[in-house]
Amino acid sequence: MSIDKIKSLMKRIIENPGDVLSYATGLFRGLGYLFYYKVFRNNVTIGFPFIVDAKVRIIGPGTVTIGKGCRVMKNAFKGLTILTFSKDATVTIGSKCLLGGTTIRCRGSVAIGDRTMTAVSLIQDRFFVHEDGPGIEARRRLPAEKKITLGRNVWLGEDSFVMSGSTIGDDCVLSSGSWCHDAAYQDYVLIMGSPVRSAIPIDKLLRLKGEL
Amino acid sequence: MRDFLALLRGRIFLTLCRLKGMNVKIGRGLRIYKRVSISGAGRIEIGENCIMAGIPGDSSQYVCLETLNPAAVLQIGDDASLYAARIAAKFRIVVGNNVLIEEAGIMDTDYHSIAKDRGTPASEKEDKCRVTVGNRVCMGARSSILKGTTIGDDVIIAPGSIVTMSVKPGSMVAGNPAKMFSI
Repeated sequence: MSIDKIKSLMKRIIENPGDVLSYATGLFRGLGYLFYYKVFRNNVTIGFPFIVDAKVRIIGPGTVTIGKGCRVMKNAFKGLTILTFSKDATVTIGSKCLLGGTTIRCRGSVAIGDRTMTAVSLIQDRFFVHEDGPGIEARRRLPAEKKITLGRNVWLGEDSFVMSGSTIGDDCVLSSGSWCHDAAYQDYVLIMGSPVRSAIPIDKLLRLKGEL
Repeated sequence: MRDFLALLRGRIFLTLCRLKGMNVKIGRGLRIYKRVSISGAGRIEIGENCIMAGIPGDSSQYVCLETLNPAAVLQIGDDASLYAARIAAKFRIVVGNNVLIEEAGIMDTDYHSIAKDRGTPASEKEDKCRVTVGNRVCMGARSSILKGTTIGDDVIIAPGSIVTMSVKPGSMVAGNPAKMFSI
C-alpha cells in the first residue's frame, strides 16, 4: 500500500468517523453470515469481504453465488432477499455490488454482473411464486421461466421490476418505477416506462444536456 | 404436518371468531399458515378451502382483511389462495372463485379526499366505487386494484401493475396504469 493511499484513508477516518464505524460493524456482521452459510448451507457461496448493514435472507435449495466485496445497504429496511424454488435454480451475483432492498425470486437462472447498484426492486423470472396451487386454467397459459441477465455496472432504480426474459447490457440505468419483460437492451442506455416504452442512449442524453 | 397445523389453526380461528361474535362467515377447510388480521364492523364472507399465508422471504407481510364501514361487504369465493393479500372494503368488494392474490392489495376507497383538509371523500358512492373481481384471476406481487374497477374472468395481472380501469375477461395487464399486453 502506497503512502498516498494511507494518507487518503486517514483523511477519510478523520473527516467521517461514523462512516468508518458503520463499515466496521457491517464487516463484522458479514463475517457472521459468511460463517453461517459456510457451515450450514452447502449451496450458497459468498466471497470474503461481505459488508452487511441490513438483513440478508437466502432461502431455498438452489445454487447462490455472491462475489467478493459486495455490500448490502440499508434501503427501506428491506435488506437482500434471494428465494430459489428448485435445485436447478441458479443465482449469480458479481463482485463489488451494492445490494439493498432487492428481492430475487428465481426458478430458472438469474445472472447479475459486477458493480451493480440496486434500490428497492424486484427481480422475478416467473409471474407468480405459487403456481402449483389448485388447478387454474388461466395460469396454464403463462410462459415458462426465462433467463434474466444484467450486465456490468447496471443501476436499478427505486421500485423497478425486472421480469422474465429481460437482458440488460452493460452500464445501463433502469429508471425508477420501470417495468421490463422479455426484451433485450443494448449497452449504455436509459430504460424507462412502465411497461418499458423507450430505451434512450445515454451518450445522446448527455449531448443534449451539453455535458459531453 | 405443516398443512395439518394450518388446518388446526384455521379451526381455532373460526371458533374464536364465533366466540367474539364477529360479523365473519368463513367456509370449511380454512388453512392459516401465518398471522391473519381481520378487523372492522362490516360483513366478511369467505368460501370453502381458503388458504391464508405470508409471502416467503418477507416476514413482515401477512393477510389483512378490513372493513371500514358497518354496511361494508367483502365477499371472497371458494378455493381462494391469499398470500399476504391486503383487502380494504368501504362499500362492496366481490371476489370470485379460485383466485390467487400474491403480496397485492385491493381497495374500493381513496381513504382521503384530494382537497387541502384531506378529509373523508364526499363524492364516493357505492355504485361508482364497488370492485368486482372475476373467477380464476391471478394477481402478482406488489400490484394493486383501485376503486371502481370490474375485472373479468381468467385475467392475469402482472407483478407491479396498478389497475385503474376495468379489464376485459381473458386478458393480461401490466404496468402503471395497467395496459393490456400479450406474450
